[in-house]
Amino acid sequence: MPTNLLDRLGQRVLQSLTQAGDFAVISSRAFAAAFKRPFDTPNLMHQFQAVGVNSIPVIVLTSVAISMVFAVQLSFGFRQFQAEGLASQVQGLAIVRELAPVITGLMMAGRVGSAMAAELGTMQVTEQIDALECLATDPIHFLFVPRLLASMVMLPLLTGISIYVGFWGGYALLVGVVGQSSVVYSTEFYKLLAFRDVGIALTKALVFGIIIALVGCWRGYRTQGGAEGVGNAPTSSVVTSSLWILVSDFFLTKLLLV
Amino acid sequence: MEPVIDVVNLSKAFGPKVVLANVTFAVQEGESLAVMGGSGSGKTVLLRTIMGLLAPDSGHVSIEGKIIQELDRQELFEVRKKIGMCFQMAALFDSMSVAENIGFALKRHTPMTEAEIAGRVDECLTLVGLKDCQKLRPAELSGGMKRRVGFARAIALKPQILLFDEPTTGLDPVMTDVISRVILDLKHQLGVTTVTITHDLKSAFEIADRIALLFRGEIIACQPPEEFKANPDPVIQQFLRGDAEGPFLTDPAPPKRSTKSSASPLLVP
Ligand SMILES: Nc1ncnc2c1ncn2[C@@H]1O[C@H](COP(=O)(O)OP(=O)(O)OP(=O)(O)O)[C@@H](O)[C@H]1O
Ligand SMILES: [Mg+2]
Repeated sequence: MPTNLLDRLGQRVLQSLTQAGDFAVISSRAFAAAFKRPFDTPNLMHQFQAVGVNSIPVIVLTSVAISMVFAVQLSFGFRQFQAEGLASQVQGLAIVRELAPVITGLMMAGRVGSAMAAELGTMQVTEQIDALECLATDPIHFLFVPRLLASMVMLPLLTGISIYVGFWGGYALLVGVVGQSSVVYSTEFYKLLAFRDVGIALTKALVFGIIIALVGCWRGYRTQGGAEGVGNAPTSSVVTSSLWILVSDFFLTKLLLV
Repeated sequence: MEPVIDVVNLSKAFGPKVVLANVTFAVQEGESLAVMGGSGSGKTVLLRTIMGLLAPDSGHVSIEGKIIQELDRQELFEVRKKIGMCFQMAALFDSMSVAENIGFALKRHTPMTEAEIAGRVDECLTLVGLKDCQKLRPAELSGGMKRRVGFARAIALKPQILLFDEPTTGLDPVMTDVISRVILDLKHQLGVTTVTITHDLKSAFEIADRIALLFRGEIIACQPPEEFKANPDPVIQQFLRGDAEGPFLTDPAPPKRSTKSSASPLLVP
């Protein structure tokens, strides 16, 4: 039945629009609440720990793995043109501009975004969020703000770590295995880069941090219906924020590079 | 005199299921109202609507003259600071210790020092008989202990209005009496206005100035305990007797057997 199909399509569109609207409202409330008293320093420190410090091992490991694999592929690829020297330049370009921020973003979406969704989701279905409301505490202020701030600070820092580790991952492979000179690698790595590129990487990381925290918290906050709802919240938060990270990465790259 | 809590023509339905239909009542300052009703009759929904956690389909609630449904969030929080609410499932913050749970509002809304907060937390915990539990996490408490911590959290800020959702369900008879006494104490000492949902007839008659019965979405009686007891309405009489037989249930009650004859012959020695 065409009308039926149209009906369903319309419903889906309306539903997505409502959700997008809800997300926008909640996000703007979160940003507005960031400047409101009382500032909850212990909670913020706790989030710095949970989002930032505890993620360092994961970020280091993935960055090592990705940068080494990438170096393998590059040295193989450029050998076809007898241009092995270019490998380190492209390595630098790829790590700083794309790999470090995007890998950090995706890993963190899985590691902390999902945790935020699960935590807030549990709080929602066990009425703890209602209890916050009753104790005259805005859940957006109490729960969203520390997570948002922590992600906004920590994602760029972790991206910095990822770039640093990526440099040494490439070094280990190109210098250690392929046998480039270490001085050449170290200078070539930066050859195609300008300071602006580091700025771009950190800007991307900041945007990814905002996406991860807001989507994770929002999905958790809007959890409905018991254990199943709590189970769905992290999954959909990871999917949604990963998608938005990739989409925004494209536009940020386009915008910031012109 | 203007009532402290004024519920006007409140209606609420979830999908096709009508939970509240034109509920109207008022609670005066210093008065204690007990709300009773069958399980699933909408008592919790009523309390959540009063608190502004649920939006009614029609009608409104006003607290001290302010219509809850028309306030913006900031004003709503100002009103909620004057209200203490005790949840049916306690709803304790499970990432915090018992002491942090109880001191939560004190820390956020009062200029009290850490020591003063600790003192007040001790005081509240002693009231509900949980003196040595400050350090425990909610996961380490029994159901009844959680409920008492929830109760202590609700009264910590010394609010002028208290809403209790079954504060005594699941407690032993002695503890139930203790909680009833604390509620009475608060009323006499601080003149607080309370709405208490309870299934416990004894404590309802003890604490209430008026008892309301919620039945099929309506308040069918709201009167002082003696009048409530004498109310000839068959629903009320059945509720007071605690009998399955009568107009209270929609479906006929399961057949009644006398306890002695129902014993299985196999068990008879
Ligand atoms: N969020 C909700 N969505 C759909 N239906 C709901 C919701 N909350 C409550 N209900 C329905 O409203 C009715 C009243 O629920 P409520 O929790 O108020 O009962 P109650 O009187 O507090 O019962 P009890 O004494 O068992 O706690 C129930 O039939 C329930 O199914
Ligand atoms: Mg209930």
